[in-house]
Amino acid sequence: MKKITIEHLARVEGAGGIIATIDGKAVTDVKLYINEGPRLVERLTLGKTPEEDINLVPRICAICSISHKYAAIRAHEKALQVKVLPKVTLLRELMHLGEMIESHSLHVYLLALPDYVGFPNAMAMAAKFGFEAKIGLEMKQFGNHIMKTVSGRFIHGENPIIGGFGKWPSQEDLIWIKNRAIQFMPFVLKTVKLFSELNYPDCPESETQFACLNPAQNQFGFVGEEIILSSGEKIDVQDYKHLTNEFLVSHSFCKRSQYKGKPYSVGALARINNLGERLPGEAGNMYRKYFNSRWKKNPLFNNAAQALELLYSFERIPEVVDLLKKLPDPEIVLSAKKDGKGTGAVEAPRGALFHYYEISKGLITRTDIITPTAQNAEDIERYCYLAAQKLLESGEEEKIKDRMDLVVRSFDPCLSCSVHMVQIKKASPEDWKLKLSALKKTKELVFIGVGTPSFSDDRIGLELASRLRKSGVKSVWLEPEIEEKKDVFWQENSGRPIIFLDALDFGQSPGKITLRPLKHLFWTSTLSHRIFPLVSSELDSHQLMNSFILGIQPGSIKEGEEISEPVFQAIKTIIEYLR
Amino acid sequence: MSDNKLKIGIYELTGCAGDALLIIDCEEELINIFKAADIESFLMAKSDNNEVKLDLALIEGSVTSEKDKELLLDVRQRSQVVVAIGICACFGGMQAKYLDPKEWQENLKKIYGDLEMINNIPLQSKSIDAYVKVDYYLPGCPIGKEQFLSAFTRMLAGNPPELFRFPVCMECKWKENDCLLNKNRLCLGPLTAAGCGAVCINHNLPCLGCWGPAEEANRASEFQLLLEKGFDQEHIKQKMANFSGSKIFEFFARLKGEKR
Repeated sequence: MKKITIEHLARVEGAGGIIATIDGKAVTDVKLYINEGPRLVERLTLGKTPEEDINLVPRICAICSISHKYAAIRAHEKALQVKVLPKVTLLRELMHLGEMIESHSLHVYLLALPDYVGFPNAMAMAAKFGFEAKIGLEMKQFGNHIMKTVSGRFIHGENPIIGGFGKWPSQEDLIWIKNRAIQFMPFVLKTVKLFSELNYPDCPESETQFACLNPAQNQFGFVGEEIILSSGEKIDVQDYKHLTNEFLVSHSFCKRSQYKGKPYSVGALARINNLGERLPGEAGNMYRKYFNSRWKKNPLFNNAAQALELLYSFERIPEVVDLLKKLPDPEIVLSAKKDGKGTGAVEAPRGALFHYYEISKGLITRTDIITPTAQNAEDIERYCYLAAQKLLESGEEEKIKDRMDLVVRSFDPCLSCSVHMVQIKKASPEDWKLKLSALKKTKELVFIGVGTPSFSDDRIGLELASRLRKSGVKSVWLEPEIEEKKDVFWQENSGRPIIFLDALDFGQSPGKITLRPLKHLFWTSTLSHRIFPLVSSELDSHQLMNSFILGIQPGSIKEGEEISEPVFQAIKTIIEYLR
Repeated sequence: MSDNKLKIGIYELTGCAGDALLIIDCEEELINIFKAADIESFLMAKSDNNEVKLDLALIEGSVTSEKDKELLLDVRQRSQVVVAIGICACFGGMQAKYLDPKEWQENLKKIYGDLEMINNIPLQSKSIDAYVKVDYYLPGCPIGKEQFLSAFTRMLAGNPPELFRFPVCMECKWKENDCLLNKNRLCLGPLTAAGCGAVCINHNLPCLGCWGPAEEANRASEFQLLLEKGFDQEHIKQKMANFSGSKIFEFFARLKGEKR
């Protein structure tokens, strides 16, 4: 077995890595590591005032600092029922567009593009693609300029406050921004063309659920009071937990999210998939020209989606400035309320961001912050798995590392809010034992033997289960028994890790043993037995994470024949180990 | 790659990556930085990184896990000069708020339960000089572009960086702002290191103390001034601790020894 390690994911913001473990022709493990230590940000906001909080929480992540500030402000204003004036909302939109431009142009031109044109970084790329590097830098500079003008600094500007702003930008500053945005238009159109026509590899491709905020009045935009999913379902942002369902994993200090037991994606690609029809102007035209079904299933198109959002943002800026110019600078109205609770949500460049606060006597008593990269983590692992598994099957193992790198980077992860790294590891023959013994330490295991009784090696699972039971191992079930006694099964085994015993073709010599996460089989939908969905639909995310398939590489699968000798030896090895 | 160029590494420990990002935000100057030195390692900007002997290492973030500590120790032993950049590396940052290890453990447990990490071990957040010798400190949250470029150019020439030793108030006066203390707003300008250009006060907002304490200011008398204005001692300390973490209390401990 073998491990592919991307030890340090370069050109992403923050620290983390990916390790994929390979056993023959099967990927048995993919883990996105986030090496950031735990900062306990939510807890250190407790006992602080909302004003202090909005100074602190943007420090979660420098690249999304405006989004964090905006989300926190929205939450506090909701909690304390602060009336927000139209000019305030517009100026906040402008600073948010600035962040979108800064973050997207940095990502597509300077972090992602070098991969597609074969350079290790933007500086090296600039020698051959000087125009692209320059445009990228200038756009980013413009985004920074907007952020500095409105928020006070490139990073962690403090000018946006609850209720409004410390200081209003001058008319001259606003007009300069408007004119500059207009001047950029030809280059922004080129950007959309470049990133929509890039030759994105078709691996991995698999549909996912997309989630983003649903802006009011059927508009495109980056804030909303409602979440919309690609299925059309809508969730009030106050009920964001219905979407995010956070859980912990033991390889990262960043919590994970799943919706309805499945990974989902947030970010530019989610917004374009869910709201693209609403894009106005040139962005709308470009959407109709380039959007196709591959955007629904290939995460690499996030680069194209970000380019499209750059266009939307550049087109929107002159409109926002024109509206702002007409409005006088208002006095800030503060709320007398000292108690309340509320959720504020905004689309950060890399996806939906939620801040929730409870405030009592003017001090924060509870904080919950859900970042986009935390929500994407499961889908990042899933797409890396799909890519690695497919390349392995097609004999292109040497491509796995670079492809996983491409996939992770396409999500534009802001790794300090959650994740630097890709490793490929060959699993050792003893891996299954190590993992099983680690699992056994947490909870008692349940074994389910699956298979077809009349087919030689395909009855491995059933045979192994019967023998385990005979040798005195507890909690062993056979596939047919579960269908008969479903209620009893769940009464006895709720919350316990489930180990399916089965014949598993992973391209090794007959009799080799491996352990594959159950969730991987859902991701590829190679579910060979009815029992898998039947049982798995009842599992919570924690249980699903701890459930595996203990597989033996079969020899022949022919009707009537006996179990082959190497497989028989494997059964004996497993029984000896588990007894 | 010429031999007379300095070999430089830029590293991120736990934090918001804002100081590394600010270096990227130097845009035009960044190209000159890449030309003037050999940037051997800078994860945020490039993937062809070489972990070699360095003339200069810039480190941001605080030590908050065993991996942070491993990286820091490794970088220190192969670097001539180590510079802490940003408030987290210099002082521990907002995540270094907990003084008592027990209190930190309890809070960690409240979030992560009994979960055992398979590849990393959390550590109570500390500034990098808790583990290694630091040659220079460049404070800020994030560091300021002007101060970074001036310090970096001096270091390229083998000279120590020259930072402002006075508090934010000095820069604020240069900007001819009205003093917010006169409007009875708790502004930490008198106690905080200059370098930001008094950016918050320029926006009619009080200084948050995000650059950490001003070492050379007349701290005792500045602190006294805030007390005379009627601000609560504990509140001032808490506000300063929001960014400077545990190190601010060393600062206050020393303050007691000075004449009031």
